[in-house]
Amino acid sequence: MATENVSRGRVGEAVSRTRFAVGVTLRRRDGLAVFSLVTGLYLIAYLWFSNLLTFGTDDVGVLVARDPLTTFFQQSNNAMTFEPVALVEFGFGTYLFSLNTFIGLGVALLVGLNLAVTYIAWKQPKACGIGSSSSGLLASVPALLSGAACCGPIVLIIFGIQASSAIMTAFQWLIPLAVVLLVGSLFWIGRQVNPAQV
Amino acid sequence: MGPTSRRGFLTAASGAAAGSLSGCIGGFTSAGVEGETDGGNDESQASTTEGRTERGIPLAGSQLPVEYDFAELRDEVRDGGPPKDGIPSIDEPSFWDADEADAELDDRDVVFGLVRNDEVRAYPQTILAQHEIVNDVVGGEAVSVTYCPLTGTAMGFRRGETEFGVSGDLVNNNLIMYDREIDSRWPQVLGTAISGEFEGDSLQEFRLIWTRWVAWREVHPDTEVLSTDTGHARNYDDDPYGSYVPERSGYYSRDSTLFPPLGDDDTFPNKHVVMGARTDEGRIAFEKDALRDGGLLSGPVGGTPHLAVYDPALDTAYVYRNPDGASFSYEAGNGDARVVAEDGTEHDPADLPLDRVYAFDAMWFAWSGFYPSTEVVQ
Repeated sequence: MATENVSRGRVGEAVSRTRFAVGVTLRRRDGLAVFSLVTGLYLIAYLWFSNLLTFGTDDVGVLVARDPLTTFFQQSNNAMTFEPVALVEFGFGTYLFSLNTFIGLGVALLVGLNLAVTYIAWKQPKACGIGSSSSGLLASVPALLSGAACCGPIVLIIFGIQASSAIMTAFQWLIPLAVVLLVGSLFWIGRQVNPAQV
Repeated sequence: MGPTSRRGFLTAASGAAAGSLSGCIGGFTSAGVEGETDGGNDESQASTTEGRTERGIPLAGSQLPVEYDFAELRDEVRDGGPPKDGIPSIDEPSFWDADEADAELDDRDVVFGLVRNDEVRAYPQTILAQHEIVNDVVGGEAVSVTYCPLTGTAMGFRRGETEFGVSGDLVNNNLIMYDREIDSRWPQVLGTAISGEFEGDSLQEFRLIWTRWVAWREVHPDTEVLSTDTGHARNYDDDPYGSYVPERSGYYSRDSTLFPPLGDDDTFPNKHVVMGARTDEGRIAFEKDALRDGGLLSGPVGGTPHLAVYDPALDTAYVYRNPDGASFSYEAGNGDARVVAEDGTEHDPADLPLDRVYAFDAMWFAWSGFYPSTEVVQ
């Protein structure tokens, strides 16, 4: 019972410290800038790698799928990709809107937070009360994982990698694994924050 | 009048450079001999027409050649990644007329042409690459137009009262279709169910012509063309596998395959294109480049000479049974060709006075993997 209470206490403290670290980061102008930049760039890269964003057309227009509500939740290339419901041609590129935009945005927000907190810790660790300056870089690993997952087996075809059943199964778990790792790394940074030092 | 060259003269029984490959695993009956239903000039009409209908699905009178046990094939089935219908078939297709299609397509775009009961249609490869199956009605007949980008095979099937969908599974990297009636599994190249209630039954298949838009439009100016209004929001300018324009690139040219092929025959590189025919008598593959160069090629199928004739107008070829070893000469010029029989009569490449057999384009690894007993003519 005592051990359980200690564990709860540690988790609660980590959550509290992480909220504090995120709050400090987003209140600072440079922290917010890093967060916004990384989130935006990651989302664009995610959509591009997923073939949901392509460049090189001069058309302008919008096309909506015949049954968008049903289609929105219809799985596409693999377990974590969904059928696009709208095609938007914007003059120099094409964007396909699907549930994957929200998945990509969720992952992008986590990557953005990880790197922004890391940036602040590197810039002014004492002022923020954040101990480690490099921990958030771990976020790049799950970010890459989720980036590979978004394209499913197409990524194997593009790079000429021969697949196996194990690889195809692993693809289904890359995005959930990436999210777990991103959340984990954020808490790992957060629990090192000591609000008393701020 | 453009220049005409006499490119080849054939004594059919001799067989050009035919090599027999090893290992016929089993002998099977076949309904694969094409029935020319209404005229040889109708280059896409060829189909297996005799058969029966069960549960609303037209089945061939006998099984198409399969060189493996079904249990062995089921063991070779791989999850291709997408779930069932994750690659959505087109079930309510709409069409452009030729002028509209001209504004949308590049002349060099690959299309799969179909003529059925006087109705002419073309299906752009870039659209099929993202859907693989079109459940259509052509010439009053319900058909499925199917394409597997991983094996480079385009094949037509009668579908009766059902529709076919994409299962998401592959065997020998080939699309496995499922019927929406009872969910049997049908590898496209085999045209035969390997599991489910229809296991061992074959579909009634018909020829699609793999050609370029400029050629199809020239031969069939009245054609309709599958439009990008598929009901789905997809970017059809972007083929995720690679491209056929201007030359083959990406997956279509690289030697690697997504999954290991069923066979390991290295007569040609994996993605080299052959025109394959499979009949009760045996299997034969004609190298497509050799057909372009030679015009006429001959090879034995189970001891029976078969003749392949190149049609430059559509950059395709037709395969005929030639049991009596009839001789023909080939005259090509002006983007067209005529085949001259011994009695001096001239024939279109699609209309020789012989029995035509069903043949289709395929990547070498796909053909040799499914049919390791195949003869090769190069």
